[in-house]
Amino acid sequence: MSDTTVHPQARTQSPPVVVARGLVKTFETGGSQVHALAGVDVDFHRGAFTAIMGPSGSGKSTLMHCLAGLDAPTSGTVHLGRTPITGLRDRDLTLLRRDRIGFIFQSFNLLPMLTAEQNILLPSQIARRSVDRERFEHIVEVVGLRDRLGHLPAKLSGGQQQRVAVARALLNAPEVVYADEPTGNLDSRSGAEVLRFLRDSARDLQQTIVMVTHDPVAASYADRVVFLRDGSIVDEVTEPTAELVSARLLKLEEA
Amino acid sequence: MLRTTLAGLRLHTSRYVTTALAILLGVMFVTGTMVFADTLESDYESSVMGSATSVDAIAEPEEPEFDPEAGPPPPAVFGEEDLQRVRDLDEVADADGRVEGQAVLLDSDGRAFGMTPPAALSLGEVSRFGASEGTLPSGGDEIALATSTAGESGFGVGDTVTVLDPDQEEREFTVTGLVELGIDPSYTMGGAMVLDRAAAEEMTGAAGYVEIDALAAEGHTDEEAADAMAAVLGGGSDVRTGEQFGLDMAQEAGADTAMMRVALLLFAFIAMFVAAIVIYNTFAIVIAQRQREMALLRCVGAKRSQVFGSVLAESTVVGLVSSVLGVLAGIGVGMLGARFGSGLLGSGAGGPVDLVLTPAAVLSGLAVGTVVTVVSALIPALRATRVSPLAALRTSSTSAGLDKRTGWLRTAAGLAAFAASALMVWLSLMGETTETGMMIVTVAALTAFVGVVVLGPLLVRGIVHVAGLVLRRTGVASMLAVDNSTRNPKRAATAMIALTVGATLITGYSVVSASTESTMNAVFEEQFPVDYQLSPQFAMDEPTGGEPAEEAADEDGSGTDVPETETVPEGVRSALASAPEIDQVMGQRTDFIDGEGSADGSGMPMSLMVSAYTDTDLATDMPSELVSGDLEDMGPGRVALSEDYADGLTAGDTFTLPAEDGAIDLEVAAVTEEAGQIHGVVLDPQDFDQAFPGRTGDDMLYVRGAPGADPSELRTAVHDAVDDHPTVQVASMAEMKNQFSEVLDIAFYTIAAMLALAILIAVFGISNTMALSVLERTRESALLRALGLSRAQLRRMLGVEAVLLCLIGALIGITLGVVFGWAGAASVLPDLILTVPFAQIGVFVAIAVVAGLLASIMPARRAARTSITGSLAGE
Repeated sequence: MSDTTVHPQARTQSPPVVVARGLVKTFETGGSQVHALAGVDVDFHRGAFTAIMGPSGSGKSTLMHCLAGLDAPTSGTVHLGRTPITGLRDRDLTLLRRDRIGFIFQSFNLLPMLTAEQNILLPSQIARRSVDRERFEHIVEVVGLRDRLGHLPAKLSGGQQQRVAVARALLNAPEVVYADEPTGNLDSRSGAEVLRFLRDSARDLQQTIVMVTHDPVAASYADRVVFLRDGSIVDEVTEPTAELVSARLLKLEEA
Repeated sequence: MLRTTLAGLRLHTSRYVTTALAILLGVMFVTGTMVFADTLESDYESSVMGSATSVDAIAEPEEPEFDPEAGPPPPAVFGEEDLQRVRDLDEVADADGRVEGQAVLLDSDGRAFGMTPPAALSLGEVSRFGASEGTLPSGGDEIALATSTAGESGFGVGDTVTVLDPDQEEREFTVTGLVELGIDPSYTMGGAMVLDRAAAEEMTGAAGYVEIDALAAEGHTDEEAADAMAAVLGGGSDVRTGEQFGLDMAQEAGADTAMMRVALLLFAFIAMFVAAIVIYNTFAIVIAQRQREMALLRCVGAKRSQVFGSVLAESTVVGLVSSVLGVLAGIGVGMLGARFGSGLLGSGAGGPVDLVLTPAAVLSGLAVGTVVTVVSALIPALRATRVSPLAALRTSSTSAGLDKRTGWLRTAAGLAAFAASALMVWLSLMGETTETGMMIVTVAALTAFVGVVVLGPLLVRGIVHVAGLVLRRTGVASMLAVDNSTRNPKRAATAMIALTVGATLITGYSVVSASTESTMNAVFEEQFPVDYQLSPQFAMDEPTGGEPAEEAADEDGSGTDVPETETVPEGVRSALASAPEIDQVMGQRTDFIDGEGSADGSGMPMSLMVSAYTDTDLATDMPSELVSGDLEDMGPGRVALSEDYADGLTAGDTFTLPAEDGAIDLEVAAVTEEAGQIHGVVLDPQDFDQAFPGRTGDDMLYVRGAPGADPSELRTAVHDAVDDHPTVQVASMAEMKNQFSEVLDIAFYTIAAMLALAILIAVFGISNTMALSVLERTRESALLRALGLSRAQLRRMLGVEAVLLCLIGALIGITLGVVFGWAGAASVLPDLILTVPFAQIGVFVAIAVVAGLLASIMPARRAARTSITGSLAGE
């Protein structure tokens, strides 16, 4: 094994930041029960960039929502660090999201009436946290938004908007960043930019990132890919390439 | 297409709930007013008709025409022979006459009841009035009271009351019944009592009949009886059948009801106007939110006209449904109003009122509600037609509703409106204080309002920006609220303007009211720097009250047998003067000389008002603005004139007083400005006695307490002095001021209550705007929640936004109200003392804050409740 391969191994084996055990989520729709998650056990390690993949309806978004405390599982547990987040009251979940989790969504990531800078600083303001100016400058520099800080989202391109969202998620160095199809609405060049930036921040800033995607190219930026089907984890790949991921995905769809 | 519309309406019912409420409230006001007024009118009509048609013919003497040469006319009455002639008619079965005069009635404290002595009448065997409770008096020691008088005095059947005869001798009567005399103001204002015939003549000194009521004989119609009576009574009489008389009375009363109806409808109009703004805003927002829906319709082939029609159809349905509910609510409100408010017009005996529901009441409510709704939706409907089919394919959600531009044209137009308004106010203040001044101020206010409408978005942004400087520091919720409230300034402006209407009106009125009060207080203090004012009870020699009291004073002076109730008895003055608590007792005597010449050459004789003040130092006790001379120079042989009486004379000139016993030449000591305390010709008391040798006694006494005297002791001293003279009216300046304030307060609260509905509708509008905005920002709310904004913070954010909107609306309204309330009052009242009722305005601001919080409750609940994951997944 060469140096470059040892490195990611180490990251995936460092202590887990997020631990989920026996996650079940059932939806009632028109009398019939749908198992969105059928008992998921999964760990996410510090500094690791993990992609969750699966066909439509496999439950990947639901898994992310439950991991992030946006949605409550029907049963099972999720720990963020030492905190069991399942069973927390809404108020505590809100504080948890505010202080320890970062979010990047597919679209509608920004508040239209706030400038790029205000959007980036929003979580700190909600938490009344003082901003690490140095980190802010660094992140802004890296995502290349220096000259766009005063613009309203409407004046930014899709890629720029998404980079603002990334900067916002990373600014407070949360324990984990959840990204839900962050490149879903972007052209491939802008998407690649965002993904590179996510990967770099995992490596350079020891940032734990969990990304839900259905795009094998996007998943190939991750250190590890977890495959989900019908609400269960069915496969896992470390050191993924786009081709490898596509092949696995295809196999899943066929099975 | 209609099916699409209705399906859409069913789907979006919740968006229209508050709008429907706004329409409902407005329509309720309209219909309620109509039902209330109709019911009162018919209730009164039936009671008048009932009383008038209880007799068949009614004859009244015609008022003789006033002839200035002949002096005051004798009171018009029918004589005994007139009644006999009527009784002798074949067409008349029976007839009797009503005797009417005035007598002093003592209240339970032994003081004279009312400002003027109440009417005292005997009804006769045949009369259109009868006892509504108990029986009519049948003997010399029995009395019946008008229901209104019984209510005011607190006397009831079985009580003993004291009435003064013309010689001021007390005589006691037992109350045997109550009589409903209707709403004739001479009875309701002054009070009335019914005595038996002999007692009435004895107590009042009245002779003759003021009305003869007759019953038609068997086989003769009412008209025949009336015609026969008119024939025997001659030209000086007005004879009508009972029915005609009732109809005429009802029409007069109808005029009162009509005035009240108009006043209430005016407030209903304001409420409807505010509702129209709310409706417009709702449709504008809903159409903007449904752009893609509209575009989709166009994509699948709907024509512009069909889109237009669909929006109008939607507004028609909303308007019609809300109006139907509003009409129903209005009927209920009108019924309640008639049940509890019928006392206002003195109609009925308080019995159950039959609800009158005219088609006009229902149709006007329906029409007003529906038409206002459809018209308000016209512009949004037009806007909907401009949506291009391509919009269906666009997915921009971030840029939607971010409209920050304000065209220079708009700015210029708004500023021009303000400038024009300011110019008009300036003009109205420069000009004379006339009605046109008030009109100009009204137009100026409307112009300024247009300016606010035009500049609304700019104002909202400006004010929010300033408020934001502070608010932004108070936390992220406030910061977001500040940004949210300016993201769609047009929408925000329209919502807050609905509130501005009510705030302007209520503040304007409160400024007028407060300024009037302080101005009047100042006038009181300046003109009557005294503590008590004593006056005789004004007497009207003639029951119909066509004759001014001053004329009566003339007669007294010439020594007729009419008692001198028009001057304050000398004993009162001496008693006051001897009281240690009292520093000074000033007397005022006034008389009139009918002038030979005419003031303006119109041929009308000018009556000269001549006064003298005893024990009064004019210069210090009645300080006045002087045109020339000095009041210090007053004394025997001198005269002070107000400018309108001076006829160009100045101090030092000679004024000739055309007294009856020969002209008196006097030197002008001072000429004072008009409308001051010195009015007319003021003589030295010595000269006054010479000019009016028969005059004794004072018309009015002014009492000033000793410095440091205890107010309650002073009060006791004054009341002790008049103890033996029950008819002397004692007015305390403090009490008068209080009464005046009370009247103003009642007017204020009435108007505030009427405007409350318009304000409530505006608050619904703001709540609706918030709710629709929240709907539009569902994903934003979800994002904020995901980022860690707590539910409480989200609610606070919306609360602050709503409060901001309400406050801006209220503050603009308060500003307009203060400016135009002041300008309006100043244009009517000269020397207005501008008083801004800060306490009241503070209350308005507090109400605006509370209204904002209330308006945000529902939207905030909805925003906080929505699921984060569901909203984020949307689209």
